[in-house]
Amino acid sequence: MMQTVAIFVGAYRELSARKIFWLALAISLLVVGLFACLGINETGISFLGWTFESPMFSTNTTSPETFYKLLFVNLGVDWWLGVLSTLLALVTTCGIIPDLVAPGSIDLLLAKPITRSRLFLTKYCTGLLFAALQVFVFSTASFFVIGLRGGAWEWALFAAVPIVTFFYSLLFSMCAFIGVLTRSSVASLILTLLAWTIIFTINISESIVNSGRIANQMEATKIESELANTENPVDEDKREELTGDLEKTLANRPTWDRAHFWFFGVKTFLPKTTDTLKLLDRWLLDGASMPSRNEESERGPQQAFGPKRVKRGEFQRAVKADEQSHSIWWVLGTSLVFEGIVLGLATVIFVRRDY
Amino acid sequence: MVSSPNAINNSAIDLANDLAIDLTDVHKTYGRKIRALQGVTLQVRAGEIFGLLGPNGAGKSTLVKIMMTIVRPDTAKGTVLNRGVGDPVALARIGYLPEHHRFPTYLTGRQVVEFSGAMSKVDRPTRKKRASELLDRVGMGDWKDRPLSSYSKGMRQRVGLAAALVNDPQLVVLDEPTDGVDPVGRREIRDLLIGIRDEGRTVLLNSHLLSEIENVCSRVAILVQGRLVAQGTIDELTSSSRRYEIVVEGSAPAWCAESASVRMIPAGQMLSAGIPGESCRLVFLGLDALGAQPILDRLRSEQRTVIAAQTVRESLEDLFMRAVTDPTTGLIYRPGAAT
Repeated sequence: MMQTVAIFVGAYRELSARKIFWLALAISLLVVGLFACLGINETGISFLGWTFESPMFSTNTTSPETFYKLLFVNLGVDWWLGVLSTLLALVTTCGIIPDLVAPGSIDLLLAKPITRSRLFLTKYCTGLLFAALQVFVFSTASFFVIGLRGGAWEWALFAAVPIVTFFYSLLFSMCAFIGVLTRSSVASLILTLLAWTIIFTINISESIVNSGRIANQMEATKIESELANTENPVDEDKREELTGDLEKTLANRPTWDRAHFWFFGVKTFLPKTTDTLKLLDRWLLDGASMPSRNEESERGPQQAFGPKRVKRGEFQRAVKADEQSHSIWWVLGTSLVFEGIVLGLATVIFVRRDY
Repeated sequence: MVSSPNAINNSAIDLANDLAIDLTDVHKTYGRKIRALQGVTLQVRAGEIFGLLGPNGAGKSTLVKIMMTIVRPDTAKGTVLNRGVGDPVALARIGYLPEHHRFPTYLTGRQVVEFSGAMSKVDRPTRKKRASELLDRVGMGDWKDRPLSSYSKGMRQRVGLAAALVNDPQLVVLDEPTDGVDPVGRREIRDLLIGIRDEGRTVLLNSHLLSEIENVCSRVAILVQGRLVAQGTIDELTSSSRRYEIVVEGSAPAWCAESASVRMIPAGQMLSAGIPGESCRLVFLGLDALGAQPILDRLRSEQRTVIAAQTVRESLEDLFMRAVTDPTTGLIYRPGAAT
């Protein structure tokens, strides 16, 4: 325990010695400060005394509490913590493992009575300290903003700390693996960002393909029900058109199914970065009674993508239901398996190498 | 008193056979070709300062790194502090300062020493106390709360020494401890090494500076191309080169020519400074001062003027050069490990 504490204290000193750590923290507080400067009134959204009229956002449609929670979820978590803060965290921490295995540095630690695997995994955990501290500060500041400006003291916001830290751990495990393999901070950063982009692309592609598959199914069901409707039978021309559409829709189904099978198969073995952050929506929505992004987007403009004959809201609910059919344990479990394999490989390399 | 299961008992390890390091048949091959160590056997007695010598790439650092678990040996039998190589109990009782160490520059000297203590499982009050004491001892008392980024190389070396001693080690392993240190600092470090030996600790010193080794080490080992070519006290290792030299006025006595162990150097050659040219030097191989007395008596009885008489032996540098020279070709071995 003494060694673990020493390594964590050392990691904190290392982080606090880096300007980027304080910069990221300052930006975090600035983002929350901006949230606090935003307000909502009868006519629209206010910012430092100016009011921007909005038919969608006003106290007539949205309560201040809901407004601030939406800001936290949609901007704070999805964009700041999920993208920008994560990038800063990767830039800051990508050197932790390469610095650990650097000649002259590793000798000092391996000569101590600590097993190599424990040393490596503890160092890995210190990398997560950065993300955890950033999210904690951001969540705490948001907690007070929502409490003071929105009038709701929402403890469920702190669920962001473990979820975003876990999300970051998925990326940092790859960073650690590349770091121990190449001993280069730059290579760790670039290759991790590349891997993140690939994973993100596969996740989005799977999501699009899945939406297409569901749209295809709903479209076919809708046409079939229209054709089978005896109370309100369609005329012959319409029947012919519907039959043609049904044939086309059914002909496309194997393609959608096959594409989804492959994308979903690949996704299953990869970390669920996007789904992990979406867990926060699930938890916060259940815990904090906040409107979901999907429900919110239902009030937004019509999307071009989707089945022609099915109502948009119905389609979105079906997509959301399908997404949420994957349990939290599937999202976390498969991601953990990936992280475990990557970290395991990194640990084996670290343990077996001569320095 | 009950200790936590994770804690290591920091009391001294009993060295039953009086050897701090007792390694036999240490082999290490890097990749498939580079044979860094080829069956090295090394014994370091408790309480001595032991010097490890060898040209670049001889395997010294590999041997030290194997002891410190930084490099994994192919085979390594024996013990370090009476425990198997890499045993955590033994590691907790070893202080190590690697060559080209890289302490984090954002830490202060005190933080470096305290971190080292914590990693060796020294409890907080003890390591705080020892950090202050040791930094004062290595002459860094006034700098202990400043970051390492403001230190010179020699100052970092001193802090490294303090960090190596914070766990009250039984065995101190130092790789080039005076690297980058000025002459005054070297002298201080030498005194420090003698001091820690006098406290009963064992010191394994890996250094290129032969004079440094000669001044402080009681025993040395010389590694060449991964093999141990010599091990023992400097006296033992240079005994074969021991000789007694007598400079007498005039030409060499005729009876000297009859002895195979006497080399006669005629007048005008190889004479020491200040010795008149009309004299010769008689070199008696393997002879000490006591054994030379009858010869001196005979020379005096023959009315020969003895100008100088002294025991001469190889310096450590001579010994080292002899060890790294191929006896068959007379050429110095190529630097680097055997392939």
